[in-house]
Amino acid sequence: MRIESQALRGGDAARRGLGQFALRFRVSGVALFLVLLCAAFASLRPAFMTPGNLNAIISNAAILAIVAAAQAVVLITRNLDVSVGSMMGFAAYLTADFAAHHPGVGAALLLMPLVIGGALGAMNGLLVAYGQVSPLIATLGTMSIYRGLTYVYAHGQEITSSRLPRWMNELPDMRLAGVPLLVLIAAAVVCLLAAFLSFYSLGRRMYAIGSNVSASAFFGLRTRRIVLFAYTLGGVLCGLAGFLYAARVGTVTVVLASGWELTSLAAAVIGGVSVAGGSGNVIGAALGAVVLATIDNGLVLLGIPEFWRMFVQGSAIVLAATADVLIASQVRHSLRARRRLARP
Amino acid sequence: MRPHTILFSGAGAILALGLAVSGASARDSGFKIMMTPKWTGFPYFEAAAKGGREAAKELGDQFVYAGADHADVTLQVETLQNFLTQKPDAIELAAIDLNAVAPVLKQARKRGIVVTTFDADAAQDARDMFVNQLSYQQAAKTMLDCALMDAPKGGEVAFVAASPTSPNHMAHIKYMTQFIKDDPKYQMFKVVDTQYANDDDAKSYDVAVNLMQAHPNLKVIISSSAVSAPAGARAIEASGHVGKVFSTGFALPSAIKSYLKDGSEKCFAVWDPEELGYLATYATHLRLAGKLDLKPGTKFTAGKAGEYTVGDHGEIVYGKPIMLTKDSVDKYNF
Amino acid sequence: MTMIRRLPQWDMTLIALTIAAGAWSAYLSPYYLNIDQIADSTRQFVYPGILALGLAVVVILGEIDISLASTLAFGAVLFSKFSAVGVSVWVATPLVVAACAALGALNGVLVARLGLPSLAVTLGTMGAFRGLAFIIGSETGYTNFDDRYLFIGSEQAFGPVPASFVLFLAIAIGIGVLTHWTVFGRRCYAIGLNKEASWAAGIDVARLKTLAYALAGALAGVAALVWIGQYGSARGDNADGAILFVVTAVVLGGVDINGGRGGIPGVVLALFLLGTMRNGMGLANVPGPTQTIVLGALLIVGVLRPVIFRAFARARRLMVSEPAIPSN
Repeated sequence: MRIESQALRGGDAARRGLGQFALRFRVSGVALFLVLLCAAFASLRPAFMTPGNLNAIISNAAILAIVAAAQAVVLITRNLDVSVGSMMGFAAYLTADFAAHHPGVGAALLLMPLVIGGALGAMNGLLVAYGQVSPLIATLGTMSIYRGLTYVYAHGQEITSSRLPRWMNELPDMRLAGVPLLVLIAAAVVCLLAAFLSFYSLGRRMYAIGSNVSASAFFGLRTRRIVLFAYTLGGVLCGLAGFLYAARVGTVTVVLASGWELTSLAAAVIGGVSVAGGSGNVIGAALGAVVLATIDNGLVLLGIPEFWRMFVQGSAIVLAATADVLIASQVRHSLRARRRLARP
Repeated sequence: MRPHTILFSGAGAILALGLAVSGASARDSGFKIMMTPKWTGFPYFEAAAKGGREAAKELGDQFVYAGADHADVTLQVETLQNFLTQKPDAIELAAIDLNAVAPVLKQARKRGIVVTTFDADAAQDARDMFVNQLSYQQAAKTMLDCALMDAPKGGEVAFVAASPTSPNHMAHIKYMTQFIKDDPKYQMFKVVDTQYANDDDAKSYDVAVNLMQAHPNLKVIISSSAVSAPAGARAIEASGHVGKVFSTGFALPSAIKSYLKDGSEKCFAVWDPEELGYLATYATHLRLAGKLDLKPGTKFTAGKAGEYTVGDHGEIVYGKPIMLTKDSVDKYNF
Repeated sequence: MTMIRRLPQWDMTLIALTIAAGAWSAYLSPYYLNIDQIADSTRQFVYPGILALGLAVVVILGEIDISLASTLAFGAVLFSKFSAVGVSVWVATPLVVAACAALGALNGVLVARLGLPSLAVTLGTMGAFRGLAFIIGSETGYTNFDDRYLFIGSEQAFGPVPASFVLFLAIAIGIGVLTHWTVFGRRCYAIGLNKEASWAAGIDVARLKTLAYALAGALAGVAALVWIGQYGSARGDNADGAILFVVTAVVLGGVDINGGRGGIPGVVLALFLLGTMRNGMGLANVPGPTQTIVLGALLIVGVLRPVIFRAFARARRLMVSEPAIPSN
């Protein structure tokens, strides 16, 4: 582990200002990338810019944005979670199954995926924070276990949309001022998260842990409890995402959302969330999801075969990671310069 | 002697006699038939398994159904290899990739195992017979007829298939394209795109959304995959294109019932997977018992499924399409 | 007997678990205990095994590479191009392996010289390499392989033992020697334990990392040849998703994900264990997801073991009332 000699006192205001700037810069980085991408596609194919198409993009991105935000929350604490897809699937299936057997249930149904997701996330958190298992291994294991449990519960059967309550099927399609409800929900969730991380001390403590665990521990932060919280929060978000996914696609299979672990990681990385922890923003992660959806959509519009999309997306991730490192080193340099100036 | 001893030695003698007799004559029952679908848990394949199990019970055979929980080529090959070790008399499968399963199937046939494909074929020299739900031309016509119901005046159509290596889907597309070009009944359609969705719900949904955006005048999305057609209908509803774009193709009644009922879709097609599985297993049994010659033109009766004729290259066409409309969909419960 | 006592404790546990898995498999299915069957079943784990050997070296260094399965696909498709124009497999193999090594080296350069986090980089190259494989290979892929290309993946070498398994053992021995008995290997451990100290001691960290990644890439190319023989087809989606199994094998083998600890024998034993379990459960037609639950649980238990031991040790110390020894 790199032990950085970052001063914890002095230059506080300056550092916070610079820190905020760096964070904002990261977000504007991916936002800028998104704008350039849209401009490129729009110039090549004007049909890209129609409200219908843009609607399609953000609808496709909405659920991924929530999961990317969940991944970002965990990444910020210098951990990761590859069980997000399995958590989505488990929460979605149990909820859908319950709804299929209790058709009269109302909006209270929504509690179920949130609680289930939270419980699953908490188990991840316990393994990582208290069991001291490496996050990759712990969540790799739980990924298999949760997915397997979903199968055992379901006896392998899928749930078709006709068995789900009507309101659940119609939920994602309802619109407010032309914007699908799905998108509004995703946007609201991401914004609330962002506010929490920036303005609540618990949120900021998560950044602290991600930057430097030992320093945070010496400083008196309850690192283990905070990591547990991060994972639980991630789980709740995955539960919500799973529910929305089931509502959107209609058919709930046992393998729902398998593969989303890497996609959510990709979205977060593109969005400027550092895999090494301590920096990045859920808004960036959400924008990263939009970038992925945009690339997908634009390439289809241009008639480019699917495998080019894989190549482009992969390259985008590498580029994003490079940009991330470059920015981080820039910030470090200016931090050092500032500190040198501040010293008497 | 004590009663137990008499009983056991008597039973033992009968058993020995029975084994000797059964060894001496050619078997016509008690075969071990193993079936694997593209993936388990999909009501379509579960129904086929149910039909297969029924046929096996009727004929006095042993039936084993196993497979992976999602469509993965590697896992299907692994399943088949595991089947091989369990020394079955016959293997039935719906192949995900016609070439990838060929090596292991050829190995099976070398050991004298009868290989039957159903729903999705493998390489022709890797299997004994292929029970096709509908001849490819028939399937193509059925889907186009459904498309006509959706859009009587014609328009732009796009195809959705599982992958370029799914032979039945690719054959459907080939014939549909041909009919659109040659048959005056379908000439008002125009093919604008073909996309692949790997039998995956989410992918099918996204593909449909993107297709509608890429082709603003699109009228019908035709899916050979029973996973993609309902997802397409969903996407149409979600994006507010109901009445402007239609989704059709093959789909399970339970998956598209709501769309037919609320009028957003007019027609889908399907066949009875349970009877398909029954037929496949019955035909396999007949072949094992030496009662089925696979020369083209041979007729045979498959129990309560009716009479069938063997076609070219070992293909047996089930050939009973069902058109699902608002009125007919309630009759089916799979 | 003394040699057995010298084996690391985790390796012993793996051996015990494998024997137990074997017994359980024999119980589950009457078809298991058959020398031909067991020999044949090893086929299924050769190509992930070769990838795992390459990945192990990278992990020992303290990095990770999740793009190896994509490199395999790339290699397979490249092989198909050579086979299509009638190039002999003896000529094609070194070329393809070199190309895959180049891809690996690209990962290495990005990680070692640009200092990018390896998870993010290989996440990106995972998609990029696979996309490349699709671009070169086209959608339908290729199946008309010349027989000699298919040899390694499909034929048997000594009696029932598959040729691919023999190849795997040879590579395992080679990588084992490289990791445990050469300067290169020792430096990898050093870097994994303490990157800064190694650099300060004069080890060219960047070069070593690049070499390790290139080696992993090269092995993926070899695995591609095995794949082709086994499945007879080369397409962009070859081995899609295999990487999770490979990572599981490496981690279960006792290689510390943070680097610097673990060894090749452990990885080989873990592969045997996983192979036995998968084979046994497959023969009993246990549904896949149930298998994954068992695998996942095994993984977690395996990693929790030292934590549990430490907790016990601490409790024991407290009970014997020694002065408290600060644990790390």
